[in-house]
Order: sequence, then structure tokens, then C-alpha cells
Amino acid sequence: MGLRARLLRYAAGRPRPLVVAVPGFTGVRLAVEADLRRRGWRPALAPAEADLLIVCGRPGPDLARAIDTVWDQMPSPRARADAPTASDVPSALDAASAHLADEPAQLEDAAQRASYTPETSMDHSTMDHGDMDHGDMDHSAMGHGDMDHGAMGHEGHESMDHEAMGHESMGHEAMGHEGHGGHGGHGGGHDHHMMGAPHGLAMADRAPDRDGLKLDVLHVPFGPVLADWPAGLKVTFTLQGDVVQAAEVEHLAGDAGAGRFWDGTNVVAARLDALARLLAVAGWTGQAAQARVLRDQALDGKVEKARLEKFVRRTRRSRTLRWMLQDVGLGETNAWTRASGWLAEIGGETRPDTSAATPPLGELLVGLDVAAARLLVAALDPDTEGAVAEHV
Amino acid sequence: MSESLLVLPLLVAVLTVAAAAFDAVLGASAAGVPGAWRAWDAPLRETARLLVRQRRSTLAADRLLRRAGVLVLPVAAVLAAAVLPLGGARAASDMSVGIVWFNAMEVAVWAGVWLAGWGVNSAYPLVGGYRMIAQGLAYELPHMFALITVAVGAESLRFSDVVTAQHDLWFAVQMPVAFLVYLLSALAMAFWGPMSSPVGADLAGGAAAELSGADRLVFSAGRHAMLAVAAAAAVPLFLGGGAGPLLPAWLWALLKTLAVLAVLVWTAHRLPVLRMDRFMTFAWTALIPATLLQLLVTGLVAL
Repeated sequence: MGLRARLLRYAAGRPRPLVVAVPGFTGVRLAVEADLRRRGWRPALAPAEADLLIVCGRPGPDLARAIDTVWDQMPSPRARADAPTASDVPSALDAASAHLADEPAQLEDAAQRASYTPETSMDHSTMDHGDMDHGDMDHSAMGHGDMDHGAMGHEGHESMDHEAMGHESMGHEAMGHEGHGGHGGHGGGHDHHMMGAPHGLAMADRAPDRDGLKLDVLHVPFGPVLADWPAGLKVTFTLQGDVVQAAEVEHLAGDAGAGRFWDGTNVVAARLDALARLLAVAGWTGQAAQARVLRDQALDGKVEKARLEKFVRRTRRSRTLRWMLQDVGLGETNAWTRASGWLAEIGGETRPDTSAATPPLGELLVGLDVAAARLLVAALDPDTEGAVAEHV
Repeated sequence: MSESLLVLPLLVAVLTVAAAAFDAVLGASAAGVPGAWRAWDAPLRETARLLVRQRRSTLAADRLLRRAGVLVLPVAAVLAAAVLPLGGARAASDMSVGIVWFNAMEVAVWAGVWLAGWGVNSAYPLVGGYRMIAQGLAYELPHMFALITVAVGAESLRFSDVVTAQHDLWFAVQMPVAFLVYLLSALAMAFWGPMSSPVGADLAGGAAAELSGADRLVFSAGRHAMLAVAAAAAVPLFLGGGAGPLLPAWLWALLKTLAVLAVLVWTAHRLPVLRMDRFMTFAWTALIPATLLQLLVTGLVAL
């Protein structure tokens, strides 16, 4: 056995899975999380980090397309585990680990991948853009054909209006730039701004930000494949720097069939699940892991009382957490009061008044930076469970 | 120059693996993994995994900047370690401006993270890079005042003089505020734990989100190495270097380093990540005055 095969085998003992939650299949996600914990596999945060893609349930057509894009972006060696039901989880993960250790299969997969171009030192394709020297560049996995740059080499036009590039949205790419307005007054010849659409991408638009500075505008999708994020939710942020200028909310559905998982019979477990996401987004990894352990105990109906109380006490007492959450506003409440309400329910105290209406997610997000926006989504915990694809 | 120049990268590597292994065990234990101690080999498996992995290429990435940024991390860590006295042994380079050199290497890490975040041409890493710069603006001034306090107390910028000056009383006791601020900035140097927003989970890994294969390995190793070196520097700066009863100086220095490192790694599991807009206010309104006051007190004592 060669060195590479040995390394593959050794590494396959502890792969880094990217877990994709699908609306309507919460039970499968919980089974996956419990199984990963049993195996000691630490979940990955991004496709580049992951070597194993776990799909928890049956996604609807749009979500399936997004998942396929993420699968395409994962560097080899890679494995995919689709678990339509909770009982499929152990065997699917075993098979995926075995596939990761299988050197011939991985080599074949890597050779056959048409859409993914791994970086190689030979890849020095220098494109001819007239006078402009773009240096070396790589084309990534996203299938941009070479655009006709010659057509854009006009001199001194006032406004070039490139269409937004129709990238399939994919959770982790930030390239859906829109038009590229008014370059006034190029003093003849080629200017750096004149490169039009380098690499087939329109340049980022610019607009004044909240401080009156001209800043690039990026359209960045968050979700639907994102760790500690509501299943099937996709929010496209319009970002300047890291400040959200606008947010467009979409729901990608799961395939029909599964019933509602959190049906009100197990409030403690449901709140622990939401709290685990919030704590993970807040970066308190240890406490988030605790919340997941307790959640699974609560679902089995054998929660350790002392451990639960310690968890509630420690979370509630954390000044740092309160400091980070209390300025994240949810209409009349804020993220900290929301979390405190969940903690009260978990601790078995009287259910707090949750009747306060919250404005729509897209409005709440405007003006926040990305860190606060992520906390807000986790604290709001929008119910995406009901989204079900209509069968065509 | 001495033989410590050869030993140094090896020492840094050992501490790096130790930090990563301890972190993995703590993580597994918090997650309730049965037999959590068995996770100690997670960094080795992760290394194997990344060695056989393809690199990820993003569209229109600036490969040179990305590679430079990634490579800066381990290089800066080893160069920063070069001025640290290794217990009884001399530092690889005991230069007269050792504290300034150490600080310069640590600021090079900002550049590394920023370049790596910018170079891949993707929004998540770019925002991670922004956060690193914001974090630098927040922690660097209190951190520099803490280091200046040490230099004033020792009346020298040379690490070996700093150790000698603590013959009677450790600086951790003499200047507790500076010590606490240093521990906080040790986390910030390695963007670790509460200061890890540049590679935050809320950004799918931030500046490191698009790194795969060898790039990710070097980035991650460099980050752990920086944490280890920051912990090792706390020993000559505040904890009396190799001073201690019975045991030889090098062993004391090693034990103290491991203790500080363990505290830093443990903190990551016990605290949420600080949002930079919130921490910035705290750093400028509370930490800077506190460190200035500490500097004033130390200055009066030194007079």
C-alpha cells in the first residue's frame, strides 16, 4: 500500500462532514448530529473544509440544485451521504467513510470531475485582453465561458451596464455582482477600470454607504447550505463592507412527505435545538455542544436534571453572551430576551409572553453587520419546517 | 546564533501539536463524545486529510497574495519565537529590541490573514479579513501599552533583561493589568477563542473559508503556532522565565508555557466570540485607560 492510500485510510477515520439540513426532515438531522457525536467527527463549516457531504432528508428541486453546486465545489477526496430517513444514517455514514478510504475510487472520481478544476501549478492561462495584463488566472468550478472582452474595449463611454451574471446561488460564493455603472471621463486609451468583465464577471457596483463613502456593493447569499442556519432558508445580503444594505429572503423547500417534527409535545428539546444554533453562531462552541447533548437526552425522555440546570444557569449568567446579544433588536424584543425566554422554558419556569410581533426578517436585517445579522437570524429562528415543494 | 536556532522550529512544532491535541480533546469532551481523550490524534488525522486533498481554486483569485498570506502565519510565529529565551538557554537571537521585534512579527499576522482573506476573491473570506483589521485596531494599543509597561519595569527591551528584572517579583504580580491585557491579546494574535471572529463560525470559517488542502494545513498550523508562541512569550514577560525551585530552568519554562497555553486553549471553549464593533468600544474606553494607568504606576515605581 502506498503512502497516499495509507494517508487516505488514516484520514477517513475522522472525516469533516458538511451537514445539510432539509426543511421537514428535522428528525434526520438530529439522528445525523447524534451519530457524528458518537463517532467523534467534527462538522465542517464550508465546502472547502469538508470532505463529506451529508444530506439530511429529501430536498425539493431548488434545494437539490443548490446542494449539487456545493457538492461540485468540494475538493477531492470527497464522499456524499444521502440519508432520506433517520434509520439510513449509520449505514450511509459507514459507506461514506469507506468510500473516502478507497484510493482507486477517489482517483477515478477526481479524474472524471469535469466542472471542478483543482489548482495546479501548470495552469497559467493568460488571456488576451488587449492592452491589459491580467496576469495568471484560474477558472473555477463555475463554468464561465470566456467572454468576449474585445467587445468591451470601447473608449470613454459613460456607463457600461453589464447584466448581473446568472450564477446559480450556492451558499458560499459571492459573485453575483450587478451592473457596473458610470465610469465618467476616461482620458483616452485604456484605463484600469476599462477591463469590463474580467474572467467573465462584471465588476462590483459602487454606491455611497451609511457614512457617505463610495463602497463596493456585493450580493452575497447566506444559505441554504450553511452550518447552524435554518433549514432551507436563503438570504441574499446586499453588502457594503460587512454591513447589510438590503436582504432578500427566500425559502427552499424539502420534498413533501415528512410531518412536523416539533409539534409542541417536546418544547424543551425544541428550545434547546434553537439555543444550540444561537450559541454556535455566537461562537460559544462548548455550550452549544452541551445544548445538543441535552436536547437528545430530552427527546429520549431521560434528561439529567442537574446537568440541565447547570446549563441554564451558566448560559444565563454569561455576561459576555448578554453583551453580544442585547443590542441585536427583534422589533420589541432583542436576541438576549429571546434567549432568556427559551432558557426559562427549558428550566421549566412559566412560559414567557411571546405574543410580541416581530417585523419581517428582511427588514430587521438592514443596517446590521454580518455578525449581528447571523445572531439575529439564529435568535429569530424562523420556522422553515412548513416549506414543502409542490410536486410538478 | 546558537544551536537553539535549529531547535526552535522543532519546539514550536511540538507546542503547536500539543495545543491542537488539547483543543481537540476539550472539544470532544464538551460535545459528549464517548472516550473524549481518544480525540488527541485529531490534529494528526487532520494533517493526513489535508495532505492528500486538492486545493480549491476560486474564480479570479490572486494566487500570489493568497499563498503569501497563508505562509506568513507559521513564518511569523517562528520568527517571533526567535527572541524568546528558552529557560536557561539563550534565545536564538537575544536582540536588544526583542520586544519590538516580537510585536512586529505579531502584526505581520494581520497582514497574513488579510491577504489570505482578500486573495481568494470570495465574500466570506473578505469579511473575515475586514474583521482581522478591526480586531487589530481594537487590541493593538492596549497590547502595546502592556508591553511598554514591561519594558519600563525592566528598563530594557531585551527579553533576557526582562527575565533578570523579575528576580524578586514576577511582573504578573507587579503589573496584573498588563498581564491580563497580554493574555487577551495573546488570543487576538492567534485569532483564537473569544477573538476568533476573523475565522468565525458565523462566516463559515471567515478568512479560511475557501482554503483547502495544503493551504488550509499551513494556515491552521501557523495559527496554532502563533498561539503557542504567544503563550511562550508570557513566561519571560510576566512569569519570571525559567525561575523556580528544584527543577532545571528549561523545565520550568516549559511547564509555565504549557500552563498558559492550556488556559488559552480552554478559554476558547468557555466564552462566546466577541463581536468587533462591541469589543472596539470596550478596548478604547476601558482597556486603554487601564493600561495607561498601569504604565503610570509602573513608571513611578521605576523612578
